[in-house]
Amino acid sequence: MIFLALRYLVARRRQTLLTLLGIFFGTVAFISISGIMLGFREYIVGQLVSNSAHVHIRAREEFLLDHTLDQAFFGQQFMHVFWDPAPSGRKDSAMVANPQSWYRRLAADFRVAAYTPQLTASVIFSNGKATAPAVLIGCDPLQQRQVTTIGDYVIEGSFANLAAGGNRLAVGDDLKKKLGVRLFQNVLVSLANGQPAPFKVVAIFKTGVQVADSQAYGALGDVQRVNRTPNQVNEIAVKLHDYTQALGLAKAWSALGSETVESWDQINANIFNIFKIQDAIRFLSVGAVMVVAGFGIYNVLTMTVMQKRKDVAILRSMGYSAKDIVLLFFVQGLILGLSGATLGLLFGYALGLYLETIPFSGGPLGSGTGHMLISRNADIYIQAAFLAIASASIASILPALSAGRLTPIEIIRAGAE
Amino acid sequence: MGIVVTGVGKEIGDPPTRILSDIAFRIDDGEFVALTGRSGSGKSTLLYILSSLDRASSGLVHIDGFDVNHTKAETLSHFRNQHMGFVFQFHYLIAELTAFENVLFPARKTGAERTQSAYAEALLGRFGLGDKMQRLPRQLSGGEQQRVAIARALVMKPKYLFADEPTGSLDSVSGEQVMDIIRDCNTQLGTTVIMVTHDPDFARQARRQIHLADGKIVSAA
Ligand SMILES: Nc1ncnc2c1ncn2[C@@H]1O[C@H](COP(=O)(O)OP(=O)(O)OP(=O)(O)O)[C@@H](O)[C@H]1O
Ligand SMILES: [Mg+2]
Repeated sequence: MIFLALRYLVARRRQTLLTLLGIFFGTVAFISISGIMLGFREYIVGQLVSNSAHVHIRAREEFLLDHTLDQAFFGQQFMHVFWDPAPSGRKDSAMVANPQSWYRRLAADFRVAAYTPQLTASVIFSNGKATAPAVLIGCDPLQQRQVTTIGDYVIEGSFANLAAGGNRLAVGDDLKKKLGVRLFQNVLVSLANGQPAPFKVVAIFKTGVQVADSQAYGALGDVQRVNRTPNQVNEIAVKLHDYTQALGLAKAWSALGSETVESWDQINANIFNIFKIQDAIRFLSVGAVMVVAGFGIYNVLTMTVMQKRKDVAILRSMGYSAKDIVLLFFVQGLILGLSGATLGLLFGYALGLYLETIPFSGGPLGSGTGHMLISRNADIYIQAAFLAIASASIASILPALSAGRLTPIEIIRAGAE
Repeated sequence: MGIVVTGVGKEIGDPPTRILSDIAFRIDDGEFVALTGRSGSGKSTLLYILSSLDRASSGLVHIDGFDVNHTKAETLSHFRNQHMGFVFQFHYLIAELTAFENVLFPARKTGAERTQSAYAEALLGRFGLGDKMQRLPRQLSGGEQQRVAIARALVMKPKYLFADEPTGSLDSVSGEQVMDIIRDCNTQLGTTVIMVTHDPDFARQARRQIHLADGKIVSAA
């Protein structure tokens, strides 16, 4: 039957090409739209995964509810306590309760690649008359370089120099400009109400992300001293060998202590929500193209069935079964779908290669690669092929079944009239 | 074995119109039977019932001993493919295939196109179309097309050949040629031929005539 189906398709070349084009464009559209969207997505996820920690262990912030304090004040004395006014506010323990036990746990876990304790302090930097409030992050500099890629963005000096201790700073490029400071110069660091302490700038980094470039890093001990919170940390940042395990580990770990444990994908949940919306748009728009292409196939096949009624009669009389007839027309649609999809896949791939050469300095992601990022994820191609073949099959099954229902005798009678 | 019909009637449409009633006869292997009668007498309808393409509303049809009404469609299809050939008034060639491919098409069902291709060539050669095998139907005359259709009906060396006014759309010369082929087929290959015809001359060439009027057999000589 494939033999005859091919002959039919070749005989009406122009129609075949036009219907094929529908599937072809649908496939190309899906591959290029998906390529662009997923390319961007893979870049962002790559940045998230490689630039920052996979799991964050933080002190838990608890909010007071109306009856949170009943137990503490009155025990079991009363059934119900009426507060006026009801207690509200935050139960603050900004510090990780028992960091040592976390260190032991993390050091023993084979899934953990590196971890660093962090103390984040809001401080005021001043250099002569220039002052700037900013976030100072105290960390284990050698570990920090493994947990995040901050070390890769150092443009002057060396991040490892922080480790030597003795009030040293790595400052972001934006902060450096605000303070007008140079490498190896001293700046003063103070809390809002504290004595300033001199710090020496030993590294300057530039990530291209404004928030990050307005921060500064110091050795953990130095920052604890400035913040007057010796031995305390408010976060432990963890890098895993396999970032996909982050969510599972975060859930397991948060059951172990009183700290909030969040994975990178939980923290960036809003970004993933945007991805979901993107996916919906992607499948809907391409779905529309495929529906139109499917209608093309449906129309052409319905017409072909009408035109080839006599062929159906003669085929049935020479012993071809109803199933063979269904196949004869279904195969035509399938061939259109398959060849449209194949051409579309090839062209879509080529288009992707071309799009990649287009210069594109992506707005806030100034540190990007400087050209468009096109994903060549195999899933895109599999989904595209599936969509194309599915729409072609659905479009051809109805006319094919109607051809199978034709009885030879009715056609012959109609033909003789 | 042959074809045996007993008490066959046919109603068609809604409200039902009776087209055939009380048809009973037997066709033995190797016979050449002509179905005759006026236009509208039910000849075509009977032919398609005899050949299992259509079903009787009542009565029994036995082909080669099996009951058509109680045989699966797949089995009937296979039987038609292997043992029956059809020739229609309008040749019904597949326009996209060459004469040769048309003739060989029944063999494709069972993947026998290799083994039958020599025979297909021989048939076309015998019908005077040896040099026109690679032509498409539209490049052939009506008579030539009908000869291709007969070759197609014979390519599986069928036991039965059903022909519905095979000469109906042809001029007298082409008609004679086609009749010669059909007669040779019966005498030389031993094919059982059942042919509907208007033409009394052609009907006389058959060894037996079944004459229909208003859906009934009036004479079965
Ligand atoms: N679908 C139908 N509905 C109602 N009546 C029909 C239908 N098809 C055929 N008939 C009637 O059945 C009768 C027999 O038709 P059939 O085609 O068997 O005649 P025929 O003898 O072959 O005639 P012809 O020589 O013109 O081909 C005719 O009277 C015709 O009008
Ligand atoms: Mg007729």
